Amino acid sequence: MSRTEVSLAKRRLFLRDSLTFLLLTLVTGVLFLITLFLFRSFTSHRAELAVRWSGRGKAALDAGKPGEAMVALRTALSYAPGTRSYELLLAQALADSGHTDEASNYFMNLWVAQPGDGFINLELARLSAKRNDPANAIKYYRASVYGTWEGDGVVRRREVRLELARYLIEHKYMSAARIELLIAAGNSPSDPGLNATLADLLVQTGDIADGFSYYKKALEADPKKKEALEGAGRAAYALGNFAEAHSLLERAMESKASPEKEENAPGDLSAMLDNSRRILELRPSGKLRPVERVDRILADGAIAKKRFDGCVVKFNAASGLPPSLQQLKTRWAGSDGVMGRAVLLRSLAQQDAAVQLIFDTETEASRFCGAPTGDDALLLLLAKSPEAAER
Amino acid sequence: MKEEEHLIEKEPVLKEAFASSLADTAAIAPAREERLFLLLSIFIGVISGLLVVSFRMAIDWLQVLLLGSAPGPRQPRLFIVPAVIGLVVAVLTRYVFPQVRGSGVNQTKAALYINNGYISFRTVIGKFVLSALAIGSGHSLGPEDPSLQIGAGVASLISRRMGMSRERLRLFAPIGAAAGLAAAFNAPISAILFVIEEVIGQWNAAVLGSIVLSAVSSVVVARSFWGSEPMFRIPTVTFSSRELFAYTVLGVFGGVAALIFSKALGYLRPRLRRQSAWKQMLQPGLAGLLVGGIGYFGLPQVMGAGYEVIDQAMHAQFAWKMLLLLALFKIIATTLSFSSGTPGGMFAPTLFIGAMLGAAIGAFEKLYFPHLHLTGSLASYALVGMGVLFAAFLRAPLTSVFMVLEVSGNYSIIVPVILANTIAYVISRSLQPVPIFEMLTHQDGLYLPSMEEQREESELHIEDAMQPVAVPILQGSETIADAAKSMAQYSGMEGSSAVLVDCGEGLWYAATHEELEAIFAKAEEDPAASLAMKLGTERTPILFPDLPLSSTLPHFKRWPLLPITNRAMRGALEGTVSMADVLRRYQGR
Repeated sequence: MSRTEVSLAKRRLFLRDSLTFLLLTLVTGVLFLITLFLFRSFTSHRAELAVRWSGRGKAALDAGKPGEAMVALRTALSYAPGTRSYELLLAQALADSGHTDEASNYFMNLWVAQPGDGFINLELARLSAKRNDPANAIKYYRASVYGTWEGDGVVRRREVRLELARYLIEHKYMSAARIELLIAAGNSPSDPGLNATLADLLVQTGDIADGFSYYKKALEADPKKKEALEGAGRAAYALGNFAEAHSLLERAMESKASPEKEENAPGDLSAMLDNSRRILELRPSGKLRPVERVDRILADGAIAKKRFDGCVVKFNAASGLPPSLQQLKTRWAGSDGVMGRAVLLRSLAQQDAAVQLIFDTETEASRFCGAPTGDDALLLLLAKSPEAAER
Repeated sequence: MKEEEHLIEKEPVLKEAFASSLADTAAIAPAREERLFLLLSIFIGVISGLLVVSFRMAIDWLQVLLLGSAPGPRQPRLFIVPAVIGLVVAVLTRYVFPQVRGSGVNQTKAALYINNGYISFRTVIGKFVLSALAIGSGHSLGPEDPSLQIGAGVASLISRRMGMSRERLRLFAPIGAAAGLAAAFNAPISAILFVIEEVIGQWNAAVLGSIVLSAVSSVVVARSFWGSEPMFRIPTVTFSSRELFAYTVLGVFGGVAALIFSKALGYLRPRLRRQSAWKQMLQPGLAGLLVGGIGYFGLPQVMGAGYEVIDQAMHAQFAWKMLLLLALFKIIATTLSFSSGTPGGMFAPTLFIGAMLGAAIGAFEKLYFPHLHLTGSLASYALVGMGVLFAAFLRAPLTSVFMVLEVSGNYSIIVPVILANTIAYVISRSLQPVPIFEMLTHQDGLYLPSMEEQREESELHIEDAMQPVAVPILQGSETIADAAKSMAQYSGMEGSSAVLVDCGEGLWYAATHEELEAIFAKAEEDPAASLAMKLGTERTPILFPDLPLSSTLPHFKRWPLLPITNRAMRGALEGTVSMADVLRRYQGR
């Protein structure tokens, strides 16, 4: 081959290669455009399917069909992997459908990625509670309270705190529950329903005084709230505030007895009302006019004396009376036991000594002769909170 | 149909004119192919990437179309569709695309070693369509191995159109294979390593650059569509050293599972292949019916490639018993689908089984041994499980480690991956000495190079045959007369095969006795001339003890003996080798 021929062949080869590469570029471009077109259609179709299936899942969950929801949400997630809202719904569906282990696994997995998420911690707490694992349940409840919430964080945190308090009460951690309730109460708006709930729970922890004050708060905003009336009445009764208890219970009974209410007042509420009424008749309050107070002391004294005599009879001569009863016997026989109207009217100190004797008698009699009934029981109540008797 | 027919493509015979034109081209522009090589690798990568993206879309689309958007138990179409599509695929495989059976890895290897890298365009189309149909209809197979073959086919097509020489055509197959696999996995390093570990079997510098280029190009294309996220959404993966025991257990279970899987394939596939042609035509349909039956009666998760199920397992949506069931039935379903000759790959099922096994063991340990305080999430167990099966079943240990790292995007998991993979690999190797790909080629009547054997072959070096110097040594700077006197001092060495002459500057000459005697005989003609001058300018090749023993072979035609010198001290003799020494060493004596 001559040099010219070689040069010509080289040029031809260069041209051929250039054309081939041009063609290759064109083919690649066309292929790219076709793929892009198909891909867009493909992704939008998948997005539609994800929305459709997640909608079905949510509807099934709302309709109380967690099994169906689970299938639908899994399908939705297969078309839109990693969509957080679907994942949370699926986890909820797993939990609702009784797949506790799977739900725990799933929530734990979500928790690993977002350990501070309020909702995930709450669900983990509920699942731990379901598995009877109080340590973890309390841990996750607390993490949920201090976790992050989207939108209505304050409300959700309060709700979780109340749920935690209920759980603590259920497991007899009364003091921890009381603390949680007081914190929740401190951050709460003045909502009658919420105050009534807080009051109910506080009473359940044994903190009747705080409970009573939250019932009152609830009644300030909604004086006819029957649950609050009933709760407040009971609390006042337990606190020995019988006047207030009587008034509240009376209002509660009225609201329950109204024609539109189908349910009847519970028996104990009615008994409590009767008792408080009777206690108000019996209590020898210092605020009463002297004559009236002395009349009551005389009546109460007669009841207490009868109870004492009945009690003393049960002890035979051989065994003898217990020292405290013996002491009471001496007091009944002595100056404290002198319950003449004139004597009592003359001396306030004598009135107080008589009242104290009555209360001591009911207390000791209940120790040695069984629980009292009737007026004796009411006098015993007064004896237990003498300061309340004065109110 | 002969057993091996579906693996081997018939390479079209080059027309005489075209062959001579290739020769002319090489003569006119000898560096042309070298220059085009890298550029073409990029095009191969891009086109393979586009095809693989389309392939994955086709599978997903077909799945929705054929099985519905939410395939679930008790849906009759789960029974019908895989069976009917299986029959269609069988007919098309027999009459239209005979080379598309199986996964695609062995077909690519066969093309590389037997057919100069030739894969026909028809095979590429057939692999695309039939694999998409099979996987989309629920056959328990994966898209990665077909993607590998599609990539290799694209490479073959483009390189042929560019008029590349036979030597180059052969090199293009692994380049395309890496591109196809990289796009399918969205993991370029794993694809490159797999092609090196399993297809070409060695680190070949000539082709490595192009493999990297094509793999990266295809991944760039794939990521422009799917996004840059790893293939699986991995929750935060943590690891503490106390979990090593748990991962050791996983390694053991993985090794055993890989053994069960390969034994199942080794048992069923050859039996089905021995059936008559018409019975073989029914096999994909029957396999579809059985796989569909598994789905119909409660486990539709085992149908198809199962990536979304792997994702669900990683995100702890199944309890350990369910995970174990899924692993077990996936082995059964894949064995049925693959043994029936339905086109489709084994990578995805392998990953599926590994992920289920890993997650099952993780969930079990967390549930029953909570006091161990295993900190890793289920995803980390599923991930390591995938690597374990990959290492033990596909016998690609290096790829398995990098695959886990690439698909998770997390480096902290490397210790458990290496530990568990090694245990599983060792168990699998000791219990099943023949790797799965090799077993499959043997079943097809072919004997392609075993990459595992190649990797482990210990190459002989010169030092293995080298002998101490036992021949006379003369100085080239001596005159002929002095050299003759020196030679006389070696009176006991007349029988030696040669005489070594130190020619200075670290160079040697191995002369025969006859050659020296002829020079000595003419000593009077030029008494001042040195021996080196009389020996001419040619010298023995410079060889070192660490070079491959085979590198000595071409030199024995010219030299009776080869001096072996020290790499640190130029020209310092370490020993010698003769043809007899080399042969003796190769014969193991």
